[in-house]
Order: sequence, then structure tokens, then C-alpha cells
Amino acid sequence: MVDLGLKTLLYDKVRFLITVSGVAFAVTLVLVQVGLFVGLLDNSTITIRKLDADLWITSKNSPNLDFVHQFPESNLYRARAVPGVARADNLILSFMQVALPTGAEETAIVYAMEDFSKWGVPWQITAGSVDDLKRGSFVMFDESASKRFGPFAVGDYREVNGRRLKVVGTSREAKSFTTTPLAFMDFRRAQELQPELLSGKTSYIVVKLAPGADVETVRAELGRRLPYNDVFTSAAWAERSRGYWIENTGIGFNAFLTVFLGCLVGVVVVAQTLYTSTMEHLKEFGTVKAIGGSNLDIYRMLGKQATVAAVLGFVLGYAPAQLLKPVIAAAGLKLIIAPQTTFIVLLGTVLLCLVSALVSFRKVAGIDPALVFRA
Amino acid sequence: MFNLSAEDVTKTFREGRETVNVLKGASLQLAPGEVLALEGPSGSGKTTLLSILGCLLSATSGRVEVAGKSVDATKPSKLQAVRRQHIGFVFQQFNLFPALTALENVEYALNLKGVVGDDATRQARELVARVGLADRARFLPRDLSGGQKQRVAIARALAASPAVVLADEPTANLDAGVAAQILDLFSELARREGRSLLIVTHDPKVRRVADRVVHIEDGRIAA
Repeated sequence: MVDLGLKTLLYDKVRFLITVSGVAFAVTLVLVQVGLFVGLLDNSTITIRKLDADLWITSKNSPNLDFVHQFPESNLYRARAVPGVARADNLILSFMQVALPTGAEETAIVYAMEDFSKWGVPWQITAGSVDDLKRGSFVMFDESASKRFGPFAVGDYREVNGRRLKVVGTSREAKSFTTTPLAFMDFRRAQELQPELLSGKTSYIVVKLAPGADVETVRAELGRRLPYNDVFTSAAWAERSRGYWIENTGIGFNAFLTVFLGCLVGVVVVAQTLYTSTMEHLKEFGTVKAIGGSNLDIYRMLGKQATVAAVLGFVLGYAPAQLLKPVIAAAGLKLIIAPQTTFIVLLGTVLLCLVSALVSFRKVAGIDPALVFRA
Repeated sequence: MFNLSAEDVTKTFREGRETVNVLKGASLQLAPGEVLALEGPSGSGKTTLLSILGCLLSATSGRVEVAGKSVDATKPSKLQAVRRQHIGFVFQQFNLFPALTALENVEYALNLKGVVGDDATRQARELVARVGLADRARFLPRDLSGGQKQRVAIARALAASPAVVLADEPTANLDAGVAAQILDLFSELARREGRSLLIVTHDPKVRRVADRVVHIEDGRIAA
């Protein structure tokens, strides 16, 4: 079969390039925006996902991981007594002030536990050991903190909430939604640094279930024994935390708006170029009809042109989005383009390009084949 | 038995509040292998009659038969089916697809008429050879002369052996020498294969190859 649609599309190379570039631009825009959005949400819950816990006991009605209020640390013993709990530990999450060598102060989100190593946090240690944290006035910072705190190394000292602490290690990839740097220290050390807030208190109790224990049964029992707390599975707690950022800040709407605008740019470019092309080829379409072709033959042709522009535009738009990853990482942000995102954007690109072709379909449907006799 | 027959065909257009009667009872017949020249001044209804005979337009009243069958003009899809099976067109401005080579232009017409694959390629090659363009088969229309383009258009019109070939001023854009060659080729192919050829023209050279010349004036066939 002679592919008139494809050959016509490739015949006018400049127009083809403009169409594909328009689609590619829109695809890059959408992928980068969605990727940044997903990256930020990933940061917001990365500690929940990396910490080796099945259940999280939180203060009542906590909206997300970072915004908690404290509750008695002794609740831990009630949690440990519940059948099906293999182990449980307190976890403090608190904002503290870090004095910098410049004299300025920055905020850090401090994670504090008695034994981090049992829970797999931090999950990527680049220097030192978490076991050292309980041996003195020590702290570990995530490497990403250097962006705000300036350069630091193991052996340096930093003042945290007025107390001089030695940096005994560094981690990587431990980030927060707000990009506030993460620090790790011993549970008791954190209570010493913020006694008025944390003395005898904890932010969370994290729970690991015994093999074979039913999550829902244990969760219900914990809820019954700790009526002034909430109990979430890790997945539910991560979902709730993500939901907070999406629903209660402008980020969800902002991402939606940018994706919408990206789609609009793509649709307008494709619709405009396909329509202009259709108008310029009206006589050819009239000829197709005159020599026996139907509207359906022409719709197929336009549909194929739109699909080819969509797929090629997607490929050309996907590549720069991937190439931007290191640039975005250097800016301290994370660009996550998951396979399902890629697939959805590809599908959306093809569908939107086909929708764009509908404008041309309407024009083609009205072509009078007798126009072939007009000069 | 005629390949093409029109009987008392009328066509009325509405232009605003006015009604314009373009055809006022035109009748003509074409036998197999016959070459007919249709002449007439501008505005006489030539193109409208050609459009109705070519099933591109439906008549307001009257009867049209193509290949012995009455044309049901009530549905565009029926007209399209008749065009696909029985009619070939040659246009004044060639109307070749610029993105397709000479061979592909012919093969595409065959595809639309239901001939596909190797059969279509073989038949297209034969048709292009019959119009003397075997060595230009892979050329795009922009690389062909006017005469060569019209030869490709003739090959395309003959694709899938239509009973009727309708040509609208096929020599208007060609110089005299090339026009004569094209007319000879066209009429010879039509006669040899038993097709009916109707040429709408202002060109007196067409008379030389036509079996009959009919005039249309003010929407009526004059002689």
C-alpha cells in the first residue's frame, strides 16, 4: 500500500519539523514538570519508605510526616506489648537550628532514634557509622545540607540548638519536601537539645511486625491500646503525607496547571500545523475523493500523520527531559520519570495529537470532490 | 449498450435568494471505445455536466447510467463506489500527489480501487510503461515536465480499467506539440481497451482525435 499520509507528512520537511518540535517541547515541559512534582513528593516520604517499619504510630490527626506534635515516649511499652509486634522504637522528628561558621543560622530536620541501624536509616551512608551517634555529642548530616550549610566534613563541629556537636558521618539521598536538610542523632541527644519540647516525648513509634502477623489485626489492636494516637501502615502514612502537600499547598495545582499548559501548547501546535496542511492540501484530498477514496481514507491519513508526529515528538521530547536530570540534581532537586509516567505521557501525546487532528477531520468531511475541476 | 448515458439531466443551484438553472435537460451517450469532445463557452454548464457524469455531483433531476447501471445519487457513498469502480479522471492541472513518485501516484489509485500489494505495483509499472514513462517511474511530479505529468495522470485514470474516462481540458497546460502527443496516446489507449473517453475542451486539436463533437450552450446539448 502506498502511504500517502506519511509521504505527504515527510515531503514538507520544514512543516514536519515545526510540528514535531512543538510536540517535543510540550512533552519535555510535561515530563519535567511531572518529574519534578513526583521528585518532590518522593522526597516528602522517602524516609517513610526507606525506614524498615510496617506501622507508624503518630500523634492524633498529624497531617504529614514533617508536621507532628509529640506524645509520651512511654507509649512505646504499650506498643511493644501488642501481639504480633516484633520490635518497636521511638523516633523523634524535630526542627532544630544549626549555627553556621558564617554566623548565620539554618534549620535542619533532625531524626533521632536509639538505634538507627535496626531500621535501615539512613539508607545510604557515605562516611562514618550510625552506631557512633550514641557514643557522644555527635551528629550526621545528609550531603545535600552542604547547599545550605556550606561545605562540611567528618570531624567538623557544628552548633545545633546551642550545643556543639561533632559531625561523625554523612548520608546521601535523605531529603525533605521543603528541601530543609536532614540530620541524624541519638534519641537522648535530641531530647537534651530541646528539653522543653522533647523531654519524655517522642514524635513517632515505628513498628516492625513479627513474621506472619496480620497487619490490620495488629494495627487495630495498637489503635485500641493507644486511643490518643493514630496508627498507619507505612503505605497509608506515606499516602497521607503526599496528599497533604498536594491538597493543602499550591504545588498540586501548580503542577496541574503546567501540565495543562504543556498539553495546550502541544495541541495548538499540532492542530494548527495539521489544519494549515489540510487547507493547503484540500485539492489533493478532493482528488483522493474523486478517484474513489472516502472520508475514512482521509481520516486514516490524517490520523496517521498525527500519530507519527506524536510518537516522534515524544521521542525528541523525552531525550532532553532525561538529559536535564543531572542539571536538576545539581540544583538540589530530583526529577523522577517513572515508566508509568512515560507511558501515560506517550499515550496522552498520541491521544491529544489525534484530538488535534479532529479539527482537520471536520474540514475534510466538507470537501466537495467536484473542487478538482476548479482552477 | 452505453458505458455512459445521461438523460434529461438538470442541475439547479441556489445562490442566496436566486435559483440558477445550470443544466436544463442535458442528454448524451458514450459507447465503449468512443471518444467524445464536449465543447462550449464558459458558463455553459460543461464542468457541472462533467461533475454529474463523473458522479462527483448529483443531478437535480434526470437519469445517469454508468456501465449499464443506474446511478443512485441519493447517497454520497454510492457515488463514491461508482467512481471507484467505473470512472477515471484526468484534470487540467494534473492533480498528482506531489509527495508520491509517478509510479506511486498510479499505485495509490489502484490501492483505492482495491488492488494492493505486488499486484498493484506490477499493474502500476505496466501503466506507467504504457504511457512511455518507465524510465521516469521513480521521479516526483516536481521533476517531470507538464507532458510527463499528464501522462502519469492518464496512467492513473486508467488504473483498474474503468469503463469511462473523463478529462477536463487535458491539454490546456501543454504546448501544442506535447498536447497532440498526449491526445493521440489518450485516444489510442481508450479505443484499444474499449473505454469511453469524454474530453471537455476549448482546444480545437481535440476534434482531430474525437469520434464525435457535441456542444453545450446554456445548459443544453446543442448538437
